[in-house]
Amino acid sequence: MNSPIADLSYRNYDGPLSAPGFRWWVVAKTMMGMAIKKRGFWVWATMGAYWYFILLVMFYFMDTLTGGQINLMKQVIWPDQFVNAFSLAQIVLFSLALLIGIGSISNDRRANALLVYLGKPCSKADYLFGKWVGICLPISIVAAVPAVLFYFYCLMSYRTYGVIGQDMFLLPKILLASFVPGFFHASLCLGISSLFDQGRLAGGAYAGIYFISNLITKAIQVAYIISEHPHGRHSVGTPNPSLANAYYFAVDGIQIGLAKIIFQSDGGQLIVGSPKGGNGAIPIPSIGFILPVYFGICAAAIWIAYVRVRPVEVIS
Amino acid sequence: MAVASLHQLTVKYGDFVALDDFTVDISEGCVGLLGPNGAGKTTLIKTLLGFLTPTAGSGSVLGTDLSDWRRIRQLVGYMPEQDCHIPGMSGVAFVAYAGELAGMPKEQALRRAHEVLEYCGLGEARYRNVETYSTGMRQRIKLAQAIVHGPKLLLLDEPTNGLDPAGRVEMLELVREVSHGKGLSVLVCSHLLPDIEKTCDEALVILRGKLREQGLIKNLKKVDGHPVEVELGEPSPEFETMIVQAGMPVIHRKLATYRLESPGSPQEALHRVLATAAKLDLSVRGFHVAERSLEEAFLEAIN
Repeated sequence: MNSPIADLSYRNYDGPLSAPGFRWWVVAKTMMGMAIKKRGFWVWATMGAYWYFILLVMFYFMDTLTGGQINLMKQVIWPDQFVNAFSLAQIVLFSLALLIGIGSISNDRRANALLVYLGKPCSKADYLFGKWVGICLPISIVAAVPAVLFYFYCLMSYRTYGVIGQDMFLLPKILLASFVPGFFHASLCLGISSLFDQGRLAGGAYAGIYFISNLITKAIQVAYIISEHPHGRHSVGTPNPSLANAYYFAVDGIQIGLAKIIFQSDGGQLIVGSPKGGNGAIPIPSIGFILPVYFGICAAAIWIAYVRVRPVEVIS
Repeated sequence: MAVASLHQLTVKYGDFVALDDFTVDISEGCVGLLGPNGAGKTTLIKTLLGFLTPTAGSGSVLGTDLSDWRRIRQLVGYMPEQDCHIPGMSGVAFVAYAGELAGMPKEQALRRAHEVLEYCGLGEARYRNVETYSTGMRQRIKLAQAIVHGPKLLLLDEPTNGLDPAGRVEMLELVREVSHGKGLSVLVCSHLLPDIEKTCDEALVILRGKLREQGLIKNLKKVDGHPVEVELGEPSPEFETMIVQAGMPVIHRKLATYRLESPGSPQEALHRVLATAAKLDLSVRGFHVAERSLEEAFLEAIN
């Protein structure tokens, strides 16, 4: 029997066509499909869980090697562990955003792909929302999966040490915090990507913003620690509160700030030891400061993308 | 029946009027859209697709009002002038994706993508990344993504752009085939008059945003007064003198070919020519009703 493809004449398509509308899911699905086909995606996704692996090993030894009065597991502040793991995964999540998201519009502009998208029953909003979901979901899932697995492992192994007792809403908080980087990177990637005609240039611009803002805010963190202990480790100073807020003016700083608000923890305890507020931890920012900045940046980036994506270039 | 109707449509880019009080009925079949650069051809296509919003007037495509652009884009296939593809995709993935965007179920889109790629002559290259395609292959894949969802109207913007002569002939054959007897109407926008002549039955001539001429190509090529062209075996001044005496003035002569004014029907003219040639013992190698080239018709329309 001949294959239908052996008939090379043109035949009309009379099959089903879904009603025009909601094409964003097709765009998002395809974007995610292309992302997970990249080897780099899996490398970065695995690396995103590195701090949880370290915690697993540390907690295993702390639980088995210590006991009785000096059982170190009793000192663990669980929300701090998630805040720290979340903070340390920032660079990985940023790299993932560069890999799967930063070229999303610029590469389409270079290849004139917008004419293909917008020549079909796919609106500009469908296109942008599809791209946004296609970046946001993978990043959020990469942030959520190791955290949730770690939470359930701890719940089964160390429940007696306060996994639920310290914060019974830890799991919903983990899930909520996992969407913070996805939402933020997806919005920024679209905005920055729409300003360029090449993914590499857009990537360079985003990396520049990320590292320069980080460098400045890390310097502020150092200044903050110094102002906390002006004359050595045992001295106590009065840190400038505006220095603390300035720390959050970075791509990852703002996300860490929001995570601290969600977990209601400053992440002062790194694995075990220092009490809350120690180790020069920057205090939890005010929600009235972080939320408007976070959503303002996201909205501005999406607005830029919306203005820049056009099927017809009009030269005035 | 008209596949697209526009009534007093005006489209502006800022202060520049690209389509000015434009009224047209585009009929079924293969229609060519002619006009010099900046005449408004691409603007017309982009308005039909809903990329541009008219400032005045109304219109419909396949019975759907221009404001319902989603429905129009589902019924229409668009092959842009510029090279376009989705980066990082193979040919078959790209065409299947275009089908899905048009509303086809995933499996149907993939199956249909294979079919149209075979039809467009890209069967062998379908698994290659589109970025590795040659110019000719990219033109073909643009056609494939435009027809994958079985549109009722195909808008082709400069379909032979950048193609070598062989590629051009093949592309024109593809366009001609899909537009004849397949239930698919085609609007071809091109600067290349031979391309329009080869593929289209009808043509629209646009100049400065206004419709200057519309009609069947054979009618556009007709010359007023129905002159005839006679090709003799060799030039003959006697024939020239005698045919004028027979009531058929010579309009012009090129070697042994004479364009003559015909007083009556072509049959009557043929009788007079043959009678004159017989008297002079001349051989008549050709006789046909004179027509101008499409280029001449186009130049007359725009001037």
